[in-house]
Amino acid sequence: MNSPLSSIILFQIGPVPITQAVLITWGIMAVLVIGSALLTRHLALVPDKRQAMIELIVTTMDTQIRETTGTEPAPYRSFIGTLFLFILVANWSSLIPGLEPPTSKLETDAALAVLVFVSVVWFGVRGAGVGGYLRSFAAPNVAMIPLNMLESITRVFSMFVRLFGNVMSGVFVIGIVASLAGLLVPIPLMALDLLTGLVQAYIFAVLAMVFISATVEDGQPDPAPSLQKKVP
Amino acid sequence: MTIDFWGLGLQAVNVLILVWLLSRLFWRPVAAAIATRQDTALTLINTAKATQAKADAALAEVTQTRADISSERTAVLVAARKEAEAATSATLADAQAKADALLAAAKTEIATETETARKANAAQATDLSLDIATRLLGQLNSPTVQAAFLSQLLLSIAEMPAADRAALKTDPNGVRIATPTDPGAEKAVMEKTIRDSLGDVALHFVTDPDLIAGVELRSAHFVLHNSWQADLSQVRKAVKHAA
Repeated sequence: MNSPLSSIILFQIGPVPITQAVLITWGIMAVLVIGSALLTRHLALVPDKRQAMIELIVTTMDTQIRETTGTEPAPYRSFIGTLFLFILVANWSSLIPGLEPPTSKLETDAALAVLVFVSVVWFGVRGAGVGGYLRSFAAPNVAMIPLNMLESITRVFSMFVRLFGNVMSGVFVIGIVASLAGLLVPIPLMALDLLTGLVQAYIFAVLAMVFISATVEDGQPDPAPSLQKKVP
Repeated sequence: MTIDFWGLGLQAVNVLILVWLLSRLFWRPVAAAIATRQDTALTLINTAKATQAKADAALAEVTQTRADISSERTAVLVAARKEAEAATSATLADAQAKADALLAAAKTEIATETETARKANAAQATDLSLDIATRLLGQLNSPTVQAAFLSQLLLSIAEMPAADRAALKTDPNGVRIATPTDPGAEKAVMEKTIRDSLGDVALHFVTDPDLIAGVELRSAHFVLHNSWQADLSQVRKAVKHAA
């Protein structure tokens, strides 16, 4: 068994090495894109079962975003929803024999974490302006600026480490068990790995949403203090 | 442990591309379909509300119209009742007038008939009375009565104007002396007495039982009544005239 921390380079395009994780990611992208194109071909006013299913996915995603942020989900739906779907499909791709989920590799999880970090900056600036985004580091007071800046890095770092650790460990454990007893024994672990994959995708998406919404909210200007008459 | 930064970059780009593609192919179309359905449902609800409002308004209008029709019906019924009452009153008044007229005409007719009947009764009674008188007087036809009538005749001849007496004398047919019965032996006495009073004239005796009793002089143009028949005729005329 190869080290879970190492990537298998399949071929190179010029100076760019194409690893197995990248190739599987392309496959997952193809599945998701083609599947989406097929599922959304004939959207009608009165939905059939297929349309009802995909609308249920979108509605559930909107509900989660709305409950987490308290705002309209439209600006965040594509990014958060795609993160969730990609991580979920990637985690569950371990069920296909011979495939290692891309999320079990450092590069993929780190790339997702970087995207979350960049998205926090992007949505923060778009929602509250540059000044508002910078002001979000001074919440609740200026003394917290160093800690907040450090937190903005560490929290995404913890996200990718959490995702990487859970998925990689699942794959590793199943690999070890399968090498010892390949028939039937890994099945419970694979089922558990399915649940873990779903939970980790949910956690990653929700945390990304929480970070983005917290930054946008912290960047908003403080409401004008209202004059209140003191009651003796 | 080493990190493949090429791989990291590639995966980041891959996910970004996936985000863009799914945004175009999945999230936006499905969200748009949901929004379209919500808009359509909202439009339908608004249309239904508007239709409901129109229906409510139409119902209110119909209710008002029904109330108007009911009040109009009541007014028409009241007017018809008043008209019927007026027509009834007019008909009753007309009938009352006709009945009064009929009653008056009947009363008049009854009065007329009563008067006619009374006159007829009076005439009948008169006739009956005269018949009784005739019969009774017929039984009283005695020579004394005849002598009284003869004296009365002589008195009447004496009171006659001279012109009338001359006219009797000049009648070529002579003068008829009417008596109810044949005078018999008294004929010559009567003829002499009358000739003495009237002058020289031709006298003829005729018997007329209808005279009952009395002596009359008759010519072609003159009659000197002197009998109970003439008296009864005078009575009948007087009674009829009085009736």
